[in-house]
Amino acid sequence: MIFGKIKMIITVLMILGISGAGIYVMKLRADNAILKANQDKLETAITEQNKVLEQQKKDFTAILESNKKLNVLIGTFKKDLEDLDKRFTKKDRDIGKLAISRTEAIERIINKGGVNAARCIELASGAEHTPEELKATLKSEINPECPSLANPGFVEYQ
Amino acid sequence: MNKIIIIALMILMTGCSFGEKRIKIFSVEEPRQKLDYPMPTALQLEELKWIIITSENAQEVFKKLEEAGIDPVLFGLTDKDYQVLARNFAQIRQKLQETNNLLEEYKKYYEPKEKE
Repeated sequence: MIFGKIKMIITVLMILGISGAGIYVMKLRADNAILKANQDKLETAITEQNKVLEQQKKDFTAILESNKKLNVLIGTFKKDLEDLDKRFTKKDRDIGKLAISRTEAIERIINKGGVNAARCIELASGAEHTPEELKATLKSEINPECPSLANPGFVEYQ
Repeated sequence: MNKIIIIALMILMTGCSFGEKRIKIFSVEEPRQKLDYPMPTALQLEELKWIIITSENAQEVFKKLEEAGIDPVLFGLTDKDYQVLARNFAQIRQKLQETNNLLEEYKKYYEPKEKE
């Protein structure tokens, strides 16, 4: 009788143990599936983050290049204005006195300068360069009002 | 028998909700439409003629104007004001160039032509 009861208890304990182990294994499998899903999500997130970082890097480079370009442009503006002043005042030049003594020559120069300045405005507003403007490399071929804008091929000899 | 009725009722009340696949809601980022304005049309300026008048050639200049059928009137600038005008025009041109360049750079940055 006692042996019978002990046998029953052992059997119940064994059944409980086996079912407990089974439940535990199932729980482990479920946890594993969750962990795997999380891992997948993390990997996707890392790939996306890398893409974002790469794009940010590209953007920074583009911004730096753009800033550099605009700074160079603003630098040429200052030089163009200085060159314009020089043309009027070079070697104590007085354009008024010159216009009195050499009226026709100065009139010709001023009209040519006006045409050149107008062309500079057209180019600044987005007009296409002519082949002559692009080819100009000599001082005699350039538009002296805005060489940096009108004649990209011209390099001033320092 | 009662048990069977209870189970049948439960199935009836829950309907087909067991094993129902839920609709996944996900958002797809739709990029903003490009503005894509064309660049402004370039200017085409008309040519004008400067006439230099001094106390010596004034009569001759006005005579030539009359002969050409042009009203003998001129809008004048002193040599200093001419220099100011030239400088002002240079500054306007530079501002135009700067604005156009900025526009180009913005377009290049925010609306690149090639798809990445």
